Amino acid sequence: MAASSPPAGTTPTPIRVMVVDDHPMWRDAVERDLVAAGLEVVATAATGAEAVARFPAARPQVVVLDLQIPAPNGVEVTRSVLSHDPSARVLILSASGEQEDVLEAVKAGATGYLVKSASSKDLIEAVRRVANGDSVFTPGLAGLVLGEFRRMDQAGAEPETPPGERLTERETEILKMVAKGLSYRQIAERLVLSHRTVQNHVQNTLRKLQLHNRVQLTRYAIAQGLDDGEEDEELGNQ
Amino acid sequence: MFRALAWLRIALLANAVGLNVYRDNFDHPAAGWVSVGVMVVWTGVALVRYRRPEHRTQALLIADLGVAAAMMAVTPLIKGSWFSATIPGFWVAGALFAWGIRYGWRGGLFAGVVLAGIDLIAREHIEQKDYSLVFLMVLGGATVGYLCGSLQEMAAERDRAQRRAAAEAERTRLGRAVHDGVLQVLALVQRRGAELGGTGAELSRLAAEQEEALRALIRVQSAVDTEWPTNAATADPPTETDLASALGALAARRHAEVALPGSPVLLPTEAVGELLGAVGACLDNVARHVGEDAPAWILLEDLGDRVVVSVRDEGPGIPEERLAAAEADGRWGVSESIRGRLRDLGGQARLETGPHGTEWELELRRDPAATDDREARR
Repeated sequence: MAASSPPAGTTPTPIRVMVVDDHPMWRDAVERDLVAAGLEVVATAATGAEAVARFPAARPQVVVLDLQIPAPNGVEVTRSVLSHDPSARVLILSASGEQEDVLEAVKAGATGYLVKSASSKDLIEAVRRVANGDSVFTPGLAGLVLGEFRRMDQAGAEPETPPGERLTERETEILKMVAKGLSYRQIAERLVLSHRTVQNHVQNTLRKLQLHNRVQLTRYAIAQGLDDGEEDEELGNQ
Repeated sequence: MFRALAWLRIALLANAVGLNVYRDNFDHPAAGWVSVGVMVVWTGVALVRYRRPEHRTQALLIADLGVAAAMMAVTPLIKGSWFSATIPGFWVAGALFAWGIRYGWRGGLFAGVVLAGIDLIAREHIEQKDYSLVFLMVLGGATVGYLCGSLQEMAAERDRAQRRAAAEAERTRLGRAVHDGVLQVLALVQRRGAELGGTGAELSRLAAEQEEALRALIRVQSAVDTEWPTNAATADPPTETDLASALGALAARRHAEVALPGSPVLLPTEAVGELLGAVGACLDNVARHVGEDAPAWILLEDLGDRVVVSVRDEGPGIPEERLAAAEADGRWGVSESIRGRLRDLGGQARLETGPHGTEWELELRRDPAATDDREARR
């Protein structure tokens, strides 16, 4: 994994995790690994509907979520659980080859992404870091996010993307390095920054992408209400 | 089409009856009014018979044309040989257009020639205005026939395209479900295999290879989907290729980690080929100087006016002496071949190397015209 760092301080109470996956073999494998590492699996779900229904009672800190699940899909589950409890974290654990789904889930508020072929050690560390408020990037995800900001800049968007939703030069630089496979530690060394600062910059990029997405959705809703939708393109594939 | 013709027939009939009532210049009025009555009756029959497609038989069309021709042919007998307008007048256009609609330009032309021939035979003297009428009839039949033929072809083509697109969408949907299942299993094999060690580790490696290959395939497929409307609209052979899916496939073959934007990055096909060659050479360098299984990362960025591909490794870097030595020997070193490829494309290759590793940055400017074109298509 690109950004490897030890969990910043071990939590005294075990992290509460919910596992959502429609493949029983995967659900069991992930649950076993997490329990073995001393985490608490408070709920599992096989479908989006189950996940949304069980989330309020289970109150997990982290939802480990497969994107390709029976309806509602992973993107909608992400949106729904985070609107219910904004302090929860969503870690996407996906086998899906569909890049767009991953990007949509991140826009909806997921803060971590891991492919299923990652080792169980990587998975456990990712859960810990996401619970800790960090974001877990793979180079692949960084490339996607970078591409998305570039597309926003170029598309000649009307109105132009406001500065608050654009990346700073520093953020672009760091995101590029993550996409090129450098760990946060390596980036911190090269740019002579603290590990925490690098982490904050990376998190900011996700925050901006989510903000931009929310603004776009609102704008779209208003446009739909006012002139019966001439801005279909603005929404992308929501 | 025939529905529009029905309205036209009613208008033509009203016109023909009206003119005959106004002129009332028959030599044999009884026969004259009978023939007007025949036109009214036949128009009624035609309206009913032409309504259903299965009733539009060849016999009906021949009868239609026959009645029209007969009406013209009897004109000299009823009006006298010095008539100026035939009894049916423009009414014959109903039969003429029916032929054009049913049998295309050939049918329209045939009916036009038949009617024109009878018109000319029936007259004793052919004046300028008669000629223009006849000429219009022949031309009109053929033209209407041609237009109808084209319209029917277009409609059929559109139906075929819609059916193809629907079938394609269904295939994609089914494929997606299967792919996801296969990816899940491959990922599980990798994970369990690595935990088992030994033969398991070998299985894990094989599963990883197949997973990467499948991911690359999915990427290529979704790129094809996105390109489809452009290609269909221009009907050109694809002169542009998606660099993103091509790099994804290359990275899967060479076990490099790749970061790509979410949407296709279209470049001229030759440029994509050359860039892939250059990236391949970079990866060869990694394999030779850092190690066969050394990790490498590829990043593709689409900056609108230019495209940048970065290839990075964490090897010991390329010593200055090696570059210099290759140059001194006049050898076409790998580094020079990478630079050369980019130069030929009008781009540039930058090399940054040091103890932390080596990084190539391959930059290619887009043709401004092509960029404008792309913007316009967005």
